[in-house]
Amino acid sequence: MFVMLKKTISRIPWLGLISIIAGLLAWGLIARYSGLPHFILPAPYDVWLSFVKTLKNGTLLYHTIITLTEVVLGMLVGVTFATVVGYMLAKSRTLEKILSPYLVASQAIPIVAIAPLLVIWLGGGILSKVLICALIVFFPVLVNTVVGVRAVPSALYDLMNSIRATKWQILLKLEVPAALPILFGGLRIGATLSVIGAIVGELVNAQKGLGYLLQLGDFQYDTSMVYVAVFMLIFLALGLYGIVAWVERKFLVWQERSNI
Amino acid sequence: MLKKLVLLMLGLALSLSSCSKLAVKNGADALRQIQLPMGYIPNIQYAPFYVAVEKGYFAQEGIELNFDYSFETDGVALVGAGELPFAVASGEQVLLARSQGLPVVYTFAWYQQFPISIVSAPELNIKEPADLRGQTIGLPGLFGANYIGLQALLFSAGFSPEDVTMEAIGFNQVEAFAAKQNNIVVGYASNEPIVLRSQGFEVNELRVSDYVQLTANGIISSEMTIKEEPDLVRAMARALALGIADTTANSEEAYTISLKYVENLADQELAVQMQILNTSIEFWKAGKIGYSDPQAWENMNDLLVKMELIPELVDLTKAFTNEFVP
Repeated sequence: MFVMLKKTISRIPWLGLISIIAGLLAWGLIARYSGLPHFILPAPYDVWLSFVKTLKNGTLLYHTIITLTEVVLGMLVGVTFATVVGYMLAKSRTLEKILSPYLVASQAIPIVAIAPLLVIWLGGGILSKVLICALIVFFPVLVNTVVGVRAVPSALYDLMNSIRATKWQILLKLEVPAALPILFGGLRIGATLSVIGAIVGELVNAQKGLGYLLQLGDFQYDTSMVYVAVFMLIFLALGLYGIVAWVERKFLVWQERSNI
Repeated sequence: MLKKLVLLMLGLALSLSSCSKLAVKNGADALRQIQLPMGYIPNIQYAPFYVAVEKGYFAQEGIELNFDYSFETDGVALVGAGELPFAVASGEQVLLARSQGLPVVYTFAWYQQFPISIVSAPELNIKEPADLRGQTIGLPGLFGANYIGLQALLFSAGFSPEDVTMEAIGFNQVEAFAAKQNNIVVGYASNEPIVLRSQGFEVNELRVSDYVQLTANGIISSEMTIKEEPDLVRAMARALALGIADTTANSEEAYTISLKYVENLADQELAVQMQILNTSIEFWKAGKIGYSDPQAWENMNDLLVKMELIPELVDLTKAFTNEFVP
């Protein structure tokens, strides 16, 4: 009975959309009947009005573009370094032994603790935010690169060696394709984490970006504006995740075919 | 029930530190437990509170204070929501909060003058606000008392904020100045300039209070608390006024008392800490302790509208009161 009900529910079209509408309705009802003041819990309509207002006057777009720029640059820097270092670690156990303590220790430091230091060292401009983003993206991509490269079956190396493939050919024809599925897993995590990195940087020295908008809303007790900034961050993270997933599907068509 | 649950989540962080203490004390005596959000970390500048507690002024009024060093905006929101009766907050926070419908009321002026300074390297020869034109100024962010103070100073000089470049550097003014990343920074008169001088840096200082009178830090309450418990509001004001008077009269004693409340205070340079305390005292001195200057409120109201932080002037008759000043 229960299994049948589950199957019936899963067949309902637009289940995700219905879930969002139900969530908004519940939020609206709580805001309406809980008696909470709007500066504690604004109604969805208040947030919508704030969204429209900040969209019309250009504030939202301006700050979103700033944050998006930091996130994209941070991801580029973080992913590039992580894949290069990850590949080197995967190929050299000695290097891994030397660098591992530093890499693991770097992950034990909360990024919020070192963000103010990075701002002092690099100034309050975009550079510090990009670096914070890159640092937060670095580790998951690095780990997945190492795992991905090491997961290549040794038989395939033997095959490549038997046909006298060069190191470049092994890298491009074997290691990269073989490591990509795992690497994309790291990229997906990195895409969402990079948004957090940008916000941490913006919260340390707020001047522009969605982190600043969030802080401004808090400073002005404009909770609706805080919600708008938070939702934009969610959309950014989901958008980036979706782009990575889309690229993954495009790149890994061969994997889907081979699974058929 | 639902309201309580959500507010419980909001106040959880603030409450955790004092929960166990509350349970013990409630059974022990009849003192009213008051959790007081301070807006900043434990600091010698809170000496009047420590003195008033230590000398029993709050206890005489039937109050036991539990210091809560959380963010200023959180304290204001909890008072506005009726969850806490009091918080320490700056005057602009009251107007910003009231503009968003929070029924908070400023009941006691602790600082009589706005304690923000512009600190600059001597070679820039900045002697008056007009000298700031065209300069790059580092400040924690485009929010808070530092931002308000700088804007007030710029408006007082007759030029707009666009005539300077404001650079958000986080709460790293001393480090940014010392590293020569910013040779003009905004900070508290009783903190950054003193710390920089103690580290051997020569600095010029422009005090906002020398050019414009603005309302500053004090005790806020809510319309509900004022209506339902006016005696409590009055008691709070009386106790704090005694603490301020005693601290002003004997700063050495206040320092000694503060050692118990401020962790690591004893490890910090005594001369610097005394200078911080004595500079703070300059900002607390008043003909009548706790009294709010209506002109300072009007100036702040006008400034926030000019800065477009509030859409229109706030009704000041509801924003502050001198009714409870002893």
